[in-house]
Amino acid sequence: MHAEGIFLQLAVLGCKASLAVLLLAAGGAKLADLAGFASTVRLFVPGRLPRALAISPVLAAAIAAGEVLAGAASLSMPAAGWLNPVVLAICCCFAVAWTVGYVRHAGRACRCFGALSRQRFTVAGIGRAVGLTLAAAAATAGVPQVSIELSLLTRLGLLGGGALVAMAAFSAAAAAGARREPEPA
Amino acid sequence: MASIPLYLAVAQWALLGALGVLVIVMFRQLGRLLAGNAKTGELGPPVGSLAVPLSYLRPGEADVRAFTPGGGQPALIAFVDPTCPSCEQLVLVLDAMRAAGELAAVRVLLLISDPASYLRISEAFQASELEIGRPADPSGLDAYRATGTPLLVAIDAAGVVAAAGSTIRQADVRRYRDACAGHSPTQGQEERPAAQAAGTWGIDGTEQVSHHR
Repeated sequence: MHAEGIFLQLAVLGCKASLAVLLLAAGGAKLADLAGFASTVRLFVPGRLPRALAISPVLAAAIAAGEVLAGAASLSMPAAGWLNPVVLAICCCFAVAWTVGYVRHAGRACRCFGALSRQRFTVAGIGRAVGLTLAAAAATAGVPQVSIELSLLTRLGLLGGGALVAMAAFSAAAAAGARREPEPA
Repeated sequence: MASIPLYLAVAQWALLGALGVLVIVMFRQLGRLLAGNAKTGELGPPVGSLAVPLSYLRPGEADVRAFTPGGGQPALIAFVDPTCPSCEQLVLVLDAMRAAGELAAVRVLLLISDPASYLRISEAFQASELEIGRPADPSGLDAYRATGTPLLVAIDAAGVVAAAGSTIRQADVRRYRDACAGHSPTQGQEERPAAQAAGTWGIDGTEQVSHHR
């Protein structure tokens, strides 16, 4: 699929940029509360207890770092077409995780944005994850090269902006976590 | 006029929007920090009220057990969940204090709302030697206002709530123990500011303690 009209291009590029920024914010916030996110990851790790407990913090850190990297790459390298299926795959994972989370662990915290989010596995969450997946699918549509061709300086600027978003999310999540509000029962 | 690529314009707005949202989130956190949070004030039963009996099931058991406050036995009731990292810290603290013999005179009960199968995901809960139960009847829980976890409730020997709030630090847990066991205040408590020494202290006003003698 190729988007030629200005509005179609705006929609495609809007989806792409929004998802990249979302990944940066989500990854940054998760990095501020890895222990909390690891407790959510533990819900999904199959296998015997010691192994599950041992790998969940590593897995949590890998997921958070992966989101930041994918978001940064997607934001600053719009011409790299291979990144779009990667983001789509990540969003598919979100949808699967939300569905499994709702079916098996309904009412538990997802900690998708670390301490910033108090979202629990709900039907509405599945809807949002599916929405993100659809947006990621839309972002795989091709656009004219002239719309996504950026100079090195521009890409570095976007990377800086992305880093700012990730750091702001990290700081906000760390502040929210430091207050240590009781988690809703 | 120089034209910029369409993607750059879109990405800039996306970044600006995200930063705007995060600034709002930061200000919300700051506001909560400065003004306190009304919601957390409702956590736990009021200090001085009579604690309500609870029925609970131990994991893997079918028999319903009863917790009856009072009767000469002080108690610390912790509302915790294996999926809550702060709860794990509280359980570790309580376990360490139990191992050190600091809770010998106090009955400690961990009440979880997560299914018993969730205990396997937490090393702290798995290793804990404290009594763990899951409420069998939700009716008594309303009086405890366990709207969040962790919630620690100290009940004195007469069945009166001596302290209630969200805490995970060992020093605070000791104060809760002292509050329900009727011990003298520790040195740390005497050094607290006047407003705290009068009976209320803690993080964001979520903890309330009074000594019943």
